[in-house]
Amino acid sequence: MSEQWRLLQTGFHTAAENMAIDRAILVANSQGLVPPTVRFYGWQPPAISIGYFQSLTEEVDVNACQRYGVKYVRRITGGGAVFHEKELTYSIVIPESHPQIPKNILQSYSRICNALIRGLHHLSIESTYAPINDIVVKGKKISGNAQTRKHNTVLQHGTILLDVDVEKMFTVLNVPSEKMKDKLISDVRQRVTSLRHIRGKDVGFDDVATAMKRGFEEEFTITLRQGALTSEEDQLATQFENECFSTRQWNHRR
Amino acid sequence: MRGHSVYKVPQGKLLKTTLEYDETRHTIQSLRITGDFFAYPEEAIELLELKLEQTPLDHTVLVQTITRLIHEHQIQFIGLDAEGLTQGILRCVL
Repeated sequence: MSEQWRLLQTGFHTAAENMAIDRAILVANSQGLVPPTVRFYGWQPPAISIGYFQSLTEEVDVNACQRYGVKYVRRITGGGAVFHEKELTYSIVIPESHPQIPKNILQSYSRICNALIRGLHHLSIESTYAPINDIVVKGKKISGNAQTRKHNTVLQHGTILLDVDVEKMFTVLNVPSEKMKDKLISDVRQRVTSLRHIRGKDVGFDDVATAMKRGFEEEFTITLRQGALTSEEDQLATQFENECFSTRQWNHRR
Repeated sequence: MRGHSVYKVPQGKLLKTTLEYDETRHTIQSLRITGDFFAYPEEAIELLELKLEQTPLDHTVLVQTITRLIHEHQIQFIGLDAEGLTQGILRCVL
């Protein structure tokens, strides 16, 4: 019988809640309280997440976010700023010592991205891993990913773009200068794609989640069993949301 | 004096560095390293910023100091390295 991991489908949450839930799962898994976990989720309202090392005010137009009702949050993972609107976000939490996870960080990115590549294949889309942390379709990015390792546990989260509105994205992300904005928008349009763009029609969140579930099951030869956050995880998530991800101290720390 | 640089690390990520430096002694007073790179453990970046204070703004010294700190504190960078960080710092002074 194949190993069973937990599947969480937590629906749509705010930026701070989403990052708090991922961190809560990381802590619970590191304490042996929950099995390896794959989570699928979305963002409501739309939000920007920035990498741990990024400067919030350098990357994000905080006033525009307030005007348009876009939330922002600093992740515990590195990487770049991401505008989360029409996408499926996943996270995987698993002990560093798990035999399925390469010790080498880049190799582990590749391994986890393979699950997404298999998932995209089930949506009739052929994609490849583009180091360091992207998945591309015909050279265009469809997925960005970021990993941290804490308490001997791996957390990787990332996006699968369902659709992308580059102009809207640059109303809330800072650009070096207004003069360069049009060029930047055109560059990003050249470099980024989405399921809607490739398939020529909307692909539903649930359909993508189903395909990605299969992708993870095949890549890791496991069964994903639908579960729920434990009460400990719920409590931890609330604590992390209140004490960290919704605070100015955390989000503006760099 | 204060300087800022934006530097795309070859084969790596975008590094943004803000530097306060002593013009007379040509040393780092304070340093802020930001960007879309990865570092494990993440908290190591704050340690690096602190440990590099008072370091001379000299290419060889910076590469050696950063390399030593990376080894001492078992820091793993992805999309950034000692040479890239040195370049980011020195470009604040140009």
